[in-house]
Amino acid sequence: MSALNNPVVAVIVSLIIAVGYFTLVDHYLMDMQGLDYWYLFRK
Amino acid sequence: MGPVTRKRLFSIAALCAMIALLLLPIVMALPSPATGEEAPAADGAKKEEGEKVEKGRDVYYKTEGIVVGAPAPKTTDGPRDYPRYNFESRVLLWFANQQHLYYGSFVLAVPIFCMIIEFMGVVTKDKALGKRYDQLAYDFIKISLTAYSLTAILGGILIFTFLTLYPAFFGYLSSIFRPVMHIYALMFVAESGTLYIYYYGWDKMKEGFLKWIHLSMSVVLNIIGTLLMFLANSWIGFMMSPAGVDEQGRFLGNIWHVIHTALWNPLNVHRLLGNMAFGGGVVAAYAAYKFLAAKTDEDRAHYDWMGYIAMALGVAFLIPLPFAGYWLMREVYAYRQQMGITLMGGLLAWLFIIQATMIGILFLSTNYYLWQAMGRMRGAEKYQRYIKYLVFLLACGYMVFITPHTMVMTPAELKAMGGQQHPVLGNYGVMSAKNGGINVIITTTVLSFVWYMRGNKVSTVSWAKFGNIFMGVFFTCAYINIVWLAIYGYYIPANVRVGLSVPQVATTLSCLFFMFGLNSVMMKGAKQMGPIEWGKISVRSQYALIMLATAFTWMMGLMGYIRSSVRLFWHVNEIMRDNSPWAYTHTVGFAANMISFNVLFFWISILFVFWLGSLTAKKVPVEAKVGVPGSVPQPAGSH
Repeated sequence: MSALNNPVVAVIVSLIIAVGYFTLVDHYLMDMQGLDYWYLFRK
Repeated sequence: MGPVTRKRLFSIAALCAMIALLLLPIVMALPSPATGEEAPAADGAKKEEGEKVEKGRDVYYKTEGIVVGAPAPKTTDGPRDYPRYNFESRVLLWFANQQHLYYGSFVLAVPIFCMIIEFMGVVTKDKALGKRYDQLAYDFIKISLTAYSLTAILGGILIFTFLTLYPAFFGYLSSIFRPVMHIYALMFVAESGTLYIYYYGWDKMKEGFLKWIHLSMSVVLNIIGTLLMFLANSWIGFMMSPAGVDEQGRFLGNIWHVIHTALWNPLNVHRLLGNMAFGGGVVAAYAAYKFLAAKTDEDRAHYDWMGYIAMALGVAFLIPLPFAGYWLMREVYAYRQQMGITLMGGLLAWLFIIQATMIGILFLSTNYYLWQAMGRMRGAEKYQRYIKYLVFLLACGYMVFITPHTMVMTPAELKAMGGQQHPVLGNYGVMSAKNGGINVIITTTVLSFVWYMRGNKVSTVSWAKFGNIFMGVFFTCAYINIVWLAIYGYYIPANVRVGLSVPQVATTLSCLFFMFGLNSVMMKGAKQMGPIEWGKISVRSQYALIMLATAFTWMMGLMGYIRSSVRLFWHVNEIMRDNSPWAYTHTVGFAANMISFNVLFFWISILFVFWLGSLTAKKVPVEAKVGVPGSVPQPAGSH
């Protein structure tokens, strides 16, 4: 736990969790509607 | 038999009577098939064998059924179908309807608050805090009791207005909804009986087992109230999206089809949340009024706390309200695309710009109140210097949210601008940007709440530093995701873009649930910098509460008008045409003036109700008002 309280480590870990979470939310919630979240990047 | 046992038996009997009252209308309705004609005679079987049974096709469910009702009347402009005074009948009906709705919403919402607050009072381990909650719940129900009588009177006025000014239409509607209207009337009786027993039994059932019985009564009361609202919603649902009738408007014998129309459920959810937000706003305004008029510090502390609780409950229901609105609009589009276009992109679109303005005002007032409220706790100063950034975020979100797609202009202005869309601002007047705008506003409100909840506390958990950084990063990523999705929407086709609103909403809700949850865990056993000094809040904050309530009232009037106007020249959409001289859509200016008049009338009359309530202020069930400023236990679960 003490490593997590290091600001640099905390920011990196938080960023990985938050960015990963929101990417999953964007992808799966579009997918559930039958839509492609990555539409622009695939075209 | 001892007096305690007698009391117990009496209270159980009262609760059973309430449940029986709740079930009575349902039982009575069972044998009533709502034929729209006289009940079939016993010798019905002896009817001529060759008699033809006419069948019709349900306009919505597309099922076949035996025609049992008369067709919708084809009205003509004249004293038979549209008797009138030398005044626009529609405006009179609008006024009667709106006032009844305001009071109806208020008296349905407040008992739900009472139930929640009374429950909090019963389950809390802190006895003093429990008494305060109980006193607060009693204060709430006391306000609604006087308003309840006025609701019933206004309901009577509304029915008389319908009967005298729109007899043909009301006759048709009541022929379709005959059993529903009877059930409605019986439920109203049940609601009244339950409410009076609940209110007058407060003092006698204030402890132990009896308190639980009393609490159960509030549950029954709220079930009845909610069912009442659902039944009333079925009438407006039928007018907008009729079902259970054929194309001539003849009833086909299935009352459930008539009730369960395409828009009934979205309307139910939207109205329930709207009523709760409105009720919270009105009670908060009442508390603000009492705070401003208070003579002692003790009263100021009490009403400051009351205002905060009412505001928090109101806003808790305000946050999901836009999402319920999206669902309703989605169902409107699914039912009739043209109806959706009339609402959002056509004749009524400008009213949605006004609606966006009002929603923005609601959230700005809420945030302003929370920032002011931080002034009553020591330690919250650390957040003051960051508030300007929240103001910036709110202002950006608000400006995008209220930008219209096209402008109302003179031909010369149109020529100078090169079209109806402004070359720069026009880009923001689309749903992609607006969704981003409102989600930024709601997320900022969530952030303000989180700051308020931790205002006078310092977390003592071992991972506090990580927790704080994680919260900051999560909120930042949420803002980036919302704005990114809004911008992304400009680069992909419309059929893909519409889906982006779902992850945007999910981002906002993630902040709401995860950050509230994380904050609560972090603040468990936190070090307090000082108590919350109830009553020590700026006077400006109380005006923010009044602003909040007024904005709720105005927006409710506006949305009711929009919902009703979308039928255009139909009494019942595509079934019964409105042939009165007033079957046109009012100008935006006239509608806004009418809504303002309704709001003004409501607030003047509710002030009278507040004043009546204050006449009995000395008769309170709790021996004395508990708690003094400075030493008051924290009111919400988060404190």
